[in-house]
Amino acid sequence: MIGRFFLYRSVNVLLVLAGLIVVFSLLSPNFAFTSPDNLRVFFALAPEFGIIALGVGMLMICGEFDLSIGSILVFCSFVFVRLSEIKMSLPLAGLITFFIGAIFGLINGVITVRGRIPSFITTLGTMMLWRGTTLLLSLGIQKPFTAEASPVFCSIFTGEINGILPAQILWFIGVGIFLGVLLHFHKFGNWVYATGDNKEAARAMGINTDRVKIICFIIVGILCALVAIMQIIRVSSFSSRAGQGWELKAVAASVVGGTSLMGGIGSMMGIFCGTLIIVVIENALTMLRIPYSWTYVVFGLVIISSVLINLYMERRKLKYGSLFFRVFEKVTPPSPGNSLNNPQKKSPTQHRN
Amino acid sequence: MNLPKKEKTRVDDKTPLVKMVGIHKWFGKVHALKGVDFEVGHSEVVGLVGDNGAGKSTLIKVLSGVHVAEKGEIYFEGEKVRITSPADARKLGIETVYQEQALAPNMSISRNIFMGREPTLSLGFMDKKRMNEESMKCLSGLGLQLRSPDLPIAILSGGQRQGVAIARALHFKAKLVILDEPTIALSVKETQEVLAFINKLRQEGISVIFITHNLHHVFPVAERFVVLTLGEKTADVKKGDMSVEELTELIVTGRRLHN
Repeated sequence: MIGRFFLYRSVNVLLVLAGLIVVFSLLSPNFAFTSPDNLRVFFALAPEFGIIALGVGMLMICGEFDLSIGSILVFCSFVFVRLSEIKMSLPLAGLITFFIGAIFGLINGVITVRGRIPSFITTLGTMMLWRGTTLLLSLGIQKPFTAEASPVFCSIFTGEINGILPAQILWFIGVGIFLGVLLHFHKFGNWVYATGDNKEAARAMGINTDRVKIICFIIVGILCALVAIMQIIRVSSFSSRAGQGWELKAVAASVVGGTSLMGGIGSMMGIFCGTLIIVVIENALTMLRIPYSWTYVVFGLVIISSVLINLYMERRKLKYGSLFFRVFEKVTPPSPGNSLNNPQKKSPTQHRN
Repeated sequence: MNLPKKEKTRVDDKTPLVKMVGIHKWFGKVHALKGVDFEVGHSEVVGLVGDNGAGKSTLIKVLSGVHVAEKGEIYFEGEKVRITSPADARKLGIETVYQEQALAPNMSISRNIFMGREPTLSLGFMDKKRMNEESMKCLSGLGLQLRSPDLPIAILSGGQRQGVAIARALHFKAKLVILDEPTIALSVKETQEVLAFINKLRQEGISVIFITHNLHHVFPVAERFVVLTLGEKTADVKKGDMSVEELTELIVTGRRLHN
């Protein structure tokens, strides 16, 4: 049982996350990091970035990037606020916002796939394009937003269960589970991995890799719209700077979570924990009263060290099949006379817990 | 020479499994195939040999639907067919195993075998239990004992990888398996493993086209050799009729050794 747990790919990310939480809890003055007040703020605020980062992680597994998440987010925010200004009912406004998010994802996907250009370039372009368009339309002015028109609609996104647990964290977990199930148990997930790992092979086996990529882009766009609505309701105002700097933080979260930049490697559990690592660091450094400038220093160190750890683990896994145990020799006893049974693995050690 | 085209019942052993007649293929001004005739019998292993640029891969890509020939006809089990896409070929039971292109290295064996054709329970969720069981079954059918269907392809040896790719073809009821340079990057021992898989395929009644420019790899398993030189078929010989040396000379010069 314990052995199987350690076979799990994202276990090292989980351990790093647990370690960080323990250290930060102990270091923060008066245990401020784990105080109910901080947790409530953290659970409401962190998921906004986290939800999008989950989608970006899945997109990275299929071998693409999205640098335009912050810009899609801010455009969707603008649309949502603008529609509420003209007294449209909020559910309808929300629906239109989701639709716009999906369309923007579709545009990213179609340009990347049909134009055969790296998504890094495509989304760099759309990042500037949508941010600029939002600035043009909003004139960079903050806009107020009042949730009074439809309290039920708003509480779906930002309500508090029992007055304690913010809805945002449930959305974060829900999206994580949904994408995790899709990625690991649904055949679409198998196509995502195949597309990222070896596109030619996937195509030769009849997988429409273009469509897989476009769908992943659309998922990211929809998640951006979701967060846009969530953020607007929480902050009660529109700011044209929303989501700035999230694009690379989302890539960082996926990489910390063990996702390969080349695609094909990664897990939703890993991405989930990687995202949490990023937001926990951000929050905890504040609680430790460390100047914000340090946050990026720590991010840098965490990103580099976790990639090094992941590479080491990956190599160890290729050699032994597990991080801490040598499991290869255990699974099936080699039948005599068949040279295929004892290939590269050298030591027939039998001890594994 | 003409075949009974309308025959609906099971074809007799005399009818070749695949028959390609007068295949022409141009790439712009390059006449890559100049009216090649090619056939493969039931459970026959054919070695398709020739130097680089002889047209071996082009011929095979016409058969597997990657390219469409400008002229020529293809008969499968005696019936005239049009193959315009890899999906067409697969529907007929023609599976192609391309060197290094067939597998996703970071995915598990079972996920690779069922890539794009996952058995599902409902709503598109994969039947992982069935995937694992059936992939182990078809691997052991090839004589390949691997420890777990969850191992990533990356940890397998080159020979074992070819085995997984061939097992996939076997599982999906291929009638003809095309191996494009299956031994090109393999050690001597791994090459022997692949040759053993090919023998296994023949025992299962599956025909094999083995493409290579290394005659010594194909000589032990193939029953017949087709030599292509600059887009033309220069020889079609049974194994007993020619020695390795004569065949090599034929590939190099495009002509028969003296006489």
